[in-house]
Amino acid sequence: MKERAGKLFSWFNTRLPIINTFERHLSKHPVPSKVNFWYLFGALASVTLIIQIVSGIWLIMPYSNTEEEAFSSIEYIMRDVDYGWVIRYIHTTGASMFFAVVYLHMFRGLLYGSYQKPKELVWIFGCTIYLAMMAEGFLGYVLPYGQMSYWGAQVIISLFGAIPYIGESLELWVRGDYYISGITVSRFFALHVVALPLVLIALVFLHLVALHEVGAGNPEGVDIEEFVDDDGVPLDSVPFFPYKVLNALVGIGVFMTVFAIIMFFFPEGGGYFIEMANFQKANPLVTPDHIAPVWYYAPFFTMLRAIPDPLGGLIVMAAAVAIFFVVPWLDRSKVASIRYKGIYSKIALTLFGVSFLTLGYLGTVGVTEVRKIMSVICTVIYFAYFLLMPIYTKYETTKEVPKRL
Amino acid sequence: MTNKSINLYFCNAFLILALSFFFNSLYAAEGGPCKDYGECDKFKYSLNDMESLQRGAATYINYCYGCHSLKFSRWGRVAKDLQIPEDIFFESLVFDKSIKPGDLMAGAMPEDSVNWFGVAPPDLTLVSRYKGDDWIYSYLRAYYEDSSKQYGVNNLVYPGTAMPNVLLSLQGNQRLICKDIAVIAENGGEKRDEYGNTITKEKCGFLEVEEGTGELTKEEFDTLIYDLTNFLVYVGEPIKATRERIGWYVVFYFLIFTALSSLLYREYHKDYN
Repeated sequence: MKERAGKLFSWFNTRLPIINTFERHLSKHPVPSKVNFWYLFGALASVTLIIQIVSGIWLIMPYSNTEEEAFSSIEYIMRDVDYGWVIRYIHTTGASMFFAVVYLHMFRGLLYGSYQKPKELVWIFGCTIYLAMMAEGFLGYVLPYGQMSYWGAQVIISLFGAIPYIGESLELWVRGDYYISGITVSRFFALHVVALPLVLIALVFLHLVALHEVGAGNPEGVDIEEFVDDDGVPLDSVPFFPYKVLNALVGIGVFMTVFAIIMFFFPEGGGYFIEMANFQKANPLVTPDHIAPVWYYAPFFTMLRAIPDPLGGLIVMAAAVAIFFVVPWLDRSKVASIRYKGIYSKIALTLFGVSFLTLGYLGTVGVTEVRKIMSVICTVIYFAYFLLMPIYTKYETTKEVPKRL
Repeated sequence: MTNKSINLYFCNAFLILALSFFFNSLYAAEGGPCKDYGECDKFKYSLNDMESLQRGAATYINYCYGCHSLKFSRWGRVAKDLQIPEDIFFESLVFDKSIKPGDLMAGAMPEDSVNWFGVAPPDLTLVSRYKGDDWIYSYLRAYYEDSSKQYGVNNLVYPGTAMPNVLLSLQGNQRLICKDIAVIAENGGEKRDEYGNTITKEKCGFLEVEEGTGELTKEEFDTLIYDLTNFLVYVGEPIKATRERIGWYVVFYFLIFTALSSLLYREYHKDYN
């Protein structure tokens, strides 16, 4: 029996690189032996992606993508489908948690220079994932067809209208109608459940393949490939399984505990995860008092609002995301990690973090004169962090990086 | 900077940020959702208090359901969740005898109701979720006499509301009155004149019920509104109590999971080191 199973396995293995792939990417894949908690968020992001895909599939079954029934089908899920509320809250909480871990993952990248040579492509695939996630999140937010779905979509789609010459036709083309309607909902549904998930999965695959090609980084910024044993395995590395897997498992445990606390006790996240106005069906005749995006878009929404001209706002907002793509070429430092960079880099990163969080806060509250000024200042700091990077990283005194971890 | 001091540095930076948000929110007080009423009264739901929910359901069906549907909720589900035997429930609370337990609570309002109030009475299944329980609890207790309005009443929480005060006979006539309020001195005590008498100043905007005009006392009426609001919280999310109960088990499970996986992680790291 055992012999037969072995034969069957080797039949497959000679036709499909099972053992090779498994050893190369999982069991024997070398990862740096010393990393900190910042290195967990990549694994957590993959876990969240899986959670979103699985809960999403189950949500599609009872959801109705028509103008008349979209909103009531959500309440049907919440009330009449057995444990439908669990699936729906997993998906809504998952969306916010996905952005939370991805923001922390990105901050880790800035903190330890995870974009530096030869990891440029890993970084660029990552930025593209973030871009796709923003689109995916927006499309998904429209599907319950509540007041905020409608008016949020109204604001976002009208951004296309600010583009010169083609703007208006583009807006119409995206919306599929002269105003947001069932047609918009059903096309957003198709994009949300088929098109963008495919794009996301493909990008995550590329992100990981590229990462495994160049090797994971570490908080010291040490190149572990320099000292290898006779088999070519880096001395300062441990095999992915079981060390990294067990490490990630602890992280997943903590993450899932937080996830469960939010999902079961604060599913609306105080109005930040599910906005109160979205419990009212979309009504084209009544504008909500205060249109605010969900928290994860808030920083960019503030930038949009800070610029009085719609096209200018759109350009600034797009640039704020696009600028991430060129970070590998903006950083001129000899060292990767913040631990060995100079004081300017440390101040710059702190100011950037503070301004990003402040922009986020400002995006969720109403506009006052003081806040308007604050949002302009924070937008300037945000861009200064990137645009001045070639200067402050080049001319600051860095510390000597050790040879080994 | 060492690793530790970097962490400390970032911690400090974010602490300062958190504090600045705190002060910002102190100084940026905006008009609250309860408008002229001021701060909304705090409402703490008790979804395991079946008697309160049952009383709330009875009040809703008797006083509100005539105009406000609960179209996402089903009759039988309410009876089951509120632990009311189905025969008693249908006997005493469901007036239309053709209704079956699986039917939605679609309301009894004709299409032309828009002409009666200027707006169609909204469905209230989700009102506790888009308005909040504090708001409902305050709103239903903030009606006052105002002869300039169509139905003779106005509301501090929702000025110009289109809804008449349906519970007027229970509450009695509530009026907006002015009171003499003691002026507070700089030292925090009441301000007194040279003869030792408290200095007062007239302040308006207080609600007071004319005694003997309502069937219920103030406390009884507040309880009635509490139960009604509690019921609306239930209807807004029928699984809320279940959710909070199951939540403890799930959180407990993941805590155990975390503990076991960290023990396993430590065990493996011993032989690595």
